Amino acid sequence: MGIAGIAVLIVAALLGAPLFALILGGAMLGFLLADIDLAVVGIELYRIVDTPMLVALPLFTFAGYLLAEARTSERLVALVRALVGRFRIGLAVVAFIVCAVFTALTGASGVTIVALGALLLPALTSAGYDRQFSLGLVTSSGSLGLLLVPSIPLILYGIVAQQMNVGEPFAIVDLFVAGLLPLLLMLGVLIAYAAWRFRGVSLPVQPFSLGALGSALFAARYELPLPVIVLGGIYSGLFAVSEAAAVTALYVLVAEVFLYREVPVRALPQIIVASMKMVGGILLILGAALAFTNFLVDAEVPQRLFELSQEYIESRWMFLLLLNILLLLLGAILDVFAALVIMVPLLLPVAVEYGIDPVHLGIVFLANMQIGYFTPPIGMNLFIASYRFKESLLTLYAASWPFMLALLAALALITYIPWLSLVFVR
Amino acid sequence: MAGLMTRWLARLEDTLLVLLMLALILVAAYQVLARNLFDGGLLWGDALVRVLVFWITMVGAMVASRSDEHIRIDLLARFLGPRTSAVTRRLSAAFTAVICALLGYYSLDFIRFEYEDGTLAFGSVPAWLCELVLPVGAFVMALRYLLMTIWPAPLPKPATDA
Repeated sequence: MGIAGIAVLIVAALLGAPLFALILGGAMLGFLLADIDLAVVGIELYRIVDTPMLVALPLFTFAGYLLAEARTSERLVALVRALVGRFRIGLAVVAFIVCAVFTALTGASGVTIVALGALLLPALTSAGYDRQFSLGLVTSSGSLGLLLVPSIPLILYGIVAQQMNVGEPFAIVDLFVAGLLPLLLMLGVLIAYAAWRFRGVSLPVQPFSLGALGSALFAARYELPLPVIVLGGIYSGLFAVSEAAAVTALYVLVAEVFLYREVPVRALPQIIVASMKMVGGILLILGAALAFTNFLVDAEVPQRLFELSQEYIESRWMFLLLLNILLLLLGAILDVFAALVIMVPLLLPVAVEYGIDPVHLGIVFLANMQIGYFTPPIGMNLFIASYRFKESLLTLYAASWPFMLALLAALALITYIPWLSLVFVR
Repeated sequence: MAGLMTRWLARLEDTLLVLLMLALILVAAYQVLARNLFDGGLLWGDALVRVLVFWITMVGAMVASRSDEHIRIDLLARFLGPRTSAVTRRLSAAFTAVICALLGYYSLDFIRFEYEDGTLAFGSVPAWLCELVLPVGAFVMALRYLLMTIWPAPLPKPATDA
């Protein structure tokens, strides 16, 4: 019966059944084979209520959707441009930074490419950057920022990993602290590539003007407290991540609806429904995964995986290398949330046995996922960019591979120098 | 008649979701401000917030099942393009309907235990009341996927308007 059940699950997966149903099916099958009453599945799902951290997900997601609906992206571009536009490749730097911030706020669901692409692509090409470079930049930066507070995938990694209770304990905020240097490294590598690519080319710059900066600051006046609340509040320890989420959601609601008046009150229900539809889908998968993880641990699957891997993989470095390859492939195939809830329960216990810090694993995991988003042939952001910019996939492959190489270099450093992630944490 | 019921249910879900979300934002923000400003806050506020998150999960998932927008590993679909046959979508909907129905059925057991035990969630609110959305949501989703098994849903919209 076990084999027949597994066969049904595999067929259903190939047919494209929703992930929550597949994981629930797996958990049910496991409990059934272990002679455990299936009522336990409901109990496990309801454990969502015992995870106070989770409240951050709906609140940050709603805030992100609201910001995407308002003209926040325009103000962000104007502000960062006033700050660094005077440098030779200033606009490219603007684009990288703005994409990272916007992705962190809205999640890597492709919103960045849709919302910012329309703004950045024409700006880049009219400023003298060739279309190929500009396309590559926008496509590959659509997932930049997965390591920046308040990235929801990073929060989700923390929740799943804490649930496993292996390795050195950590707080969610540790992940955000750990992500700082790796993110700066990625930005640095990308900027260095852009500088090298346009060496000796004269690009028009926007001379620094106090007036332009002033008006950009004034335009963003109601949104400027946001980074202070989110970054300052969380990094300083004043707010827990879930508390910062609550304040952010209320603040963004007041700012965009009542102060900027860019989102009419009557548009709110539709924004709430759209954002919570996504959150409901993610949390249902997470709840199902909690049940499934419990079954896996009971069945000692991670332990067996470790024993198996030890036969073939001797060193931590070898493990990390294979991990990178596996995650890059998965990142191209799976949605980041799916990859997290499926792979973290399996990989984390094995990684801990190889002496890898759970915080470091989280950073490596998401850095891989970030690249997977635009890995040919089927990274999701390639399809979104293709649809959005009316370009063939082949054009986008050609445009984004240099950025991919740059990020792979950064990934190697992040993977093999744990210090980058752990220096401020441990 | 069936169309009217569907629309009515959709409107109910949307309204409920909006009310839940607004309540979540207000209560969660009030708790933080009260805690930091005057060291207070509602005694049952944090528990309520967590139950609200669970309700948002279930109602959000019900809304997502309306047009089958749940996250899936669409490896085959991406290779085959939009021409995946109605048969595969029918089979996958049937599988999902069965799983949802099982979840609904067995979570009724779970809720009966809690009802008999008289467990309280917070204040004097019984736990079973908070958990009720689980079987209700599961059965509504089961019904929707059953209908999709009979009449396959229109093809999902491109991921771009996420």
